[in-house]
Amino acid sequence: METADLSHHISRRFNEDLERVRAQVLSMGGIVEALLAKSLTSLIEGDSALGESVAIDDLRVNGMEVQIDEECSRILATRAPAASDLRLIVAIIKTITDLERIGDEGEKIGYLASRLAVMERPENKYREIKHLGRIVSEMVHDALDAFARLDADGALRTARMDRVVDEEYEAIHRQCITFMMEDPRTIRRALDVMWAVRSLERIGDHAKNICEYVIYMVHGKDIRHTRLEDVEQHLNSEKGPTP
Amino acid sequence: MTQSLRTAWFLLSRLMLVLAAGMLAGLMLGSLWVGVILSLGVALAWQLLNLFWLDEWLRHRNRHDPPDTPGLWGDVISQVVRLHRRKRYHKERLLQVLRELSQSTAALPDGVVVLNALDEITWFNQPAARLLGLRGRGDRGLRVSNLVRDPQFRDYLGRGEFAEPLVLRRTEPDVSLSFQIVPYSDGQRLLMVRDVSRQVQLETMRRDFVANASHELRSPLTVVTGHLELLLSDDALAEDVRSPLQEMQRQAYRMNGIVNDLLDLSRLDAQAREAASDEVDVVALCAILRKDVLARPGHPAVALSVETHARLLGDEPGILSAFSNLVDNAVKHTPESGVITLRWALLPDGAAQFSVADTGRGIAPEHLPRLAERFYRVDTGRSREAGGSGLGLAIVKNVLMHHGATIDVQSTPGAGSTFSCLFPARRVKIVAEERTDPPNE
Repeated sequence: METADLSHHISRRFNEDLERVRAQVLSMGGIVEALLAKSLTSLIEGDSALGESVAIDDLRVNGMEVQIDEECSRILATRAPAASDLRLIVAIIKTITDLERIGDEGEKIGYLASRLAVMERPENKYREIKHLGRIVSEMVHDALDAFARLDADGALRTARMDRVVDEEYEAIHRQCITFMMEDPRTIRRALDVMWAVRSLERIGDHAKNICEYVIYMVHGKDIRHTRLEDVEQHLNSEKGPTP
Repeated sequence: MTQSLRTAWFLLSRLMLVLAAGMLAGLMLGSLWVGVILSLGVALAWQLLNLFWLDEWLRHRNRHDPPDTPGLWGDVISQVVRLHRRKRYHKERLLQVLRELSQSTAALPDGVVVLNALDEITWFNQPAARLLGLRGRGDRGLRVSNLVRDPQFRDYLGRGEFAEPLVLRRTEPDVSLSFQIVPYSDGQRLLMVRDVSRQVQLETMRRDFVANASHELRSPLTVVTGHLELLLSDDALAEDVRSPLQEMQRQAYRMNGIVNDLLDLSRLDAQAREAASDEVDVVALCAILRKDVLARPGHPAVALSVETHARLLGDEPGILSAFSNLVDNAVKHTPESGVITLRWALLPDGAAQFSVADTGRGIAPEHLPRLAERFYRVDTGRSREAGGSGLGLAIVKNVLMHHGATIDVQSTPGAGSTFSCLFPARRVKIVAEERTDPPNE
């Protein structure tokens, strides 16, 4: 892929700038991943102190967003990048917004976890949340991997996972409604659980967005609000004649 | 020498022969010179042809056999063939060694990643790919921190020293990885990755066992001490029973102390996070410690040397237990005529130091490195008698570790020992001097 080659600039400083800002985005992604893992652990194991500590990580994430944003503006102003470099910067500006939102949702889960920790735990010990959490964490991880490798195929594969997340979300939703109808005393807990699950579903959406930016960065195609099958077909037909 | 002489003679004789044949033919044709020129021309053409063949063969030497020519050209060709064969042999041997080396590295059970000066991946083996989720050749040239994004790993990579490996725990799936960086020539670095899930699990099990066992021991002990106290408070108790009962009570108290220390330690072990940052008034703490000592029978003198009112940022109960353990040790090993000095001072670089100096018997140098080991005793008989659990310094070390602090022990046998706790500047808060005279005088 010609876009993977970031070292083609005559100006070495420009290369370094691009490489550094990319590394910063991925480092922010690393913090977000750790934050998400922490908030999920606190939810599943009922560790309220851990849940509250997530808020501190979210502050770091917010700080990094501002910092990377400034860096991108500086590059746009001083280097006037074109073509794939411009796409990289645009994709980065969008990616960090989604990463920051993932951080916010993670913080929300941590807050709910510290509230749920004092309530009675259900018999299945939030098994389905654990399952959904695993899928969503994997999505975030794979999306960032695709960003690091500029791997459009991997991004497409990951974006497709969003459908599984939606299905799981629906299933937990129905289950919560059943619990609430069976025993109204669980309504309070079930509502909090539903908020947490809702946050996880949103995180899945943000991860999908990041995948879309990766595809935009590599192919220069905006695939938002397009069916994934069409995107796949389109990319394949583009690849077809000149393999 | 003879070989080359013979070759030269052979060449010369050949040339003479050709020349003679040319002259003979020239004489027969009537012109000597035409014959000579013709013969020389034929000889030259022959040499050129041979040269052409040699060149042709060298160009395609891997596909064709060497040309079969007699004479000097044959010698030259066979020499070239020999050189060529030797070179190929060495090359193959070198390749073989290289292949074996890379095969053995690839077969290592631990993951190995080679990083260049920019932390880009140059090479990795199969286990590294499995443990870190690296893929194929495409990942070479990427920065390792772009793919292994854990913030702790990033900090570790950016740090200059790698004496201790970094252990990271992942929750999904539950795997613990140990990372170790080994720098070598030209800023290149070797990243070793090992799966230590089993060790971490065993360590957790051991900790849980100690914690549970101590907890289980505590309740029966409470019953025993309670009944002993009740019995001893009875004035009608026969004298011959009283003394053994008192001994039983002493031992039960000692056991209680050990169990409490064990519980403290296992709590500290389980607490992997950095200690809290509450403000601790060390000056007030020193006063309390001093009062405690003065309340004991047969205590040595206690001197306070407060040089700063700086507050310590830490976990107060932990700090108190660490400091009182140090003071306890000092009291145990100092005679009534001795002096214990508690000192709290700021160092020039912003760090702060709490030290306990005694004028006791001191510790022989060979014991110093092992002092903080659990249940290590310098003088087995004596410290049991004094009621120590053997866990005091282990607790001190653990508490200090959570505060990023270190302990230093200076001791001269016969003259006394000094235990100093060194707290880093980030754990110290300077406050305005509130009072100038030492408190609680």
